[in-house]
Order: sequence, then structure tokens, then C-alpha cells
Amino acid sequence: MDNISQISEEERDILQEIMNIAFGKAAADLAEIINIFVVLSIPDIKIVMAEDLPGYIKEEFSEFGNISIVEQNFWGEFKGSALLIFPADSGKELISLLGDNDEPSYEPQSSDILESETLMEVGNILIGACVGKVAELLKDVVTYSPPRVIIEDHPSVSMPKTLFDPSNAAIILKTVFCFNERNVNGFLFLITSNNSVSWLKKALVDFMEQYE
Amino acid sequence: MINVILIVDDSPVSRKMLKSCIPKDQGYLFHEAGDGLAGLEMYKKTQPDVTFMDLTMPVMDGATALGEIKKYDRHALVIVVTADVQVKSIEKVVELGAFLVVKKPPSKENIQDALSKAEEKLR
Repeated sequence: MDNISQISEEERDILQEIMNIAFGKAAADLAEIINIFVVLSIPDIKIVMAEDLPGYIKEEFSEFGNISIVEQNFWGEFKGSALLIFPADSGKELISLLGDNDEPSYEPQSSDILESETLMEVGNILIGACVGKVAELLKDVVTYSPPRVIIEDHPSVSMPKTLFDPSNAAIILKTVFCFNERNVNGFLFLITSNNSVSWLKKALVDFMEQYE
Repeated sequence: MINVILIVDDSPVSRKMLKSCIPKDQGYLFHEAGDGLAGLEMYKKTQPDVTFMDLTMPVMDGATALGEIKKYDRHALVIVVTADVQVKSIEKVVELGAFLVVKKPPSKENIQDALSKAEEKLR
């Protein structure tokens, strides 16, 4: 049974607020480490069929040429995939934030590695803080797969079948953010599988109980 | 003395969370607004003693609304309640004249503490 379609308007609002708090924490963590100001947006929540996820992501980024994706899966009661997506070349912009500008320039090959490592580092901080905060607020503990960087010519994402049954729906929590000083926009998607929904609905009720 | 409280936040859930942290036995009169511009208009209309203001909102963000409110009434007591806890964000709203900054999610303890400080300031 597809539980996601039973998510009420109020449950969506609670989830949106939790995402807002979680991303605020993630931005603050990142700002502390690399001294950058992150402009936050209002999170958006969408429900799509898991089989349509790659198409959804592709459509969202159709205006960009290449994109860089940092992907990390997480498991707890709250389980799914986190995707941090940047337009291509954002990694190079971010390198200067994380690295020492006085360093000698890198050879082309090591520059690619450096870009990949930078994206992985930024992704690790943002995804870890964001997913961790959602889990903390909902009294869950999650474990993570190592982050993976994918640089795509044509935006497409294959969702792990172990997490997403293509015949089920998935919840997409999307936040857009801007690294102000560098004019870099990024997109963070948390995609939770249908398997988490029963737990999620109960956890949202429990979370709000303290505010009754 | 605090009689009228204005809550400005685009999330109805967030307004509900905040309101639940405020003691119910004080007889406060509440007004609510769902974005910064509506908050500014509501401020002018209701002249609240204390305003709770979110930052990330549509139409007009909370920092802009805070600045406009302080231009309109330099004595306004605006308490920023935000998930955006970056040091630069906090510095910015303090510069704009925020009375206090409270981190989301709100708790009874930190909201009541903020109200006590506002009460003291109004004496």
C-alpha cells in the first residue's frame, strides 16, 4: 500500500519546518568550517513515484549543462538518499573556499581529483548535518554510506533499488541554497523511500506532541 | 507590560510551535502574519509590545521586515526566531535592531526567557 499519499497537509508542514531547521544547522556547520555565508530558501516538498525520480531530477536541471552530484544514502528508521547537486564547475569555485589560494596550481588530473574531493567534503558536511538534524529531531539514529561524486554530462540519477521500490512513491525534500560570495547555487534533495513513511508519520506526531 | 504579541512566520506549524511555548495564563492577545510584508502591515495596525519574527519567508524576508519595523518604530521589540543560525545572519539582524535571537525549534524555556527579558525592557 502506498502510504505516502496519506500524508496530510499538516504533516507536510511539519516536515517542511523540520527540513528548514535541519538545513539551517547544516548551513551554520558549513559556514563555521569554510567561512562562507549560505543564503537559505524555503524548503519544498514533493511526492513522486520512485520510478519517476531520475526523470524528475533530469527535468529540474535541464537548464544546466553538466552537473555534479554528491550522493549519500542513509539508513535508520528514516532512510533514503541525499543528493547534493551543483551546476558543473561549481566545484572549482568551492576549491578556493576550502583550499589555500597560495598553493601552486595543480596539474589537470589532480585538479579534477581536488574538485571531486571538495564536492565530497562540502556534501559530507551539508548532508551529514541536515540528515543528522532531521534524525535527531525525530529521535532516530542513522548511518550513512560513504559519499560518492558523480559528474554527469547529461543529468540523470539512478536510484538504488535497495532503497526505492520503483512501484512505490518517494518524498522529495528540496532546498536551494546560494553561497553568496561565490554566486554558486546548489540543490539538496532528501529522498525518503515509502518504507519510512509509517514511521515518519508517527515520528511527526510525536515531535509535535511537545508543542500541544 | 506585554499585552499584544505578533508572530510572523510563513509556516503555520512554526507559528503553532511558538505559540505553544508562550504561557496561556497571561492573557496575551495574539496576532499572526505569514510573510514579512504582512507582518509589517500587521505591526502598524496592531502596535504589538513584542514581535516574534522568522527570517526565511516569501514576499518579504524577516531581516527586511525587521529593518522596516525599526524604521517605523525604533522602540519595537523584535525577537528573531530562526533556523538560520549562521554567525553572519545573527550579526546582521542584531545590527538591524533585533532585541534577541532565538534558535529554532523554540522551547518553552527559551521563549519564556525571551519574554521575561522583553518584559524587563518595557518596565
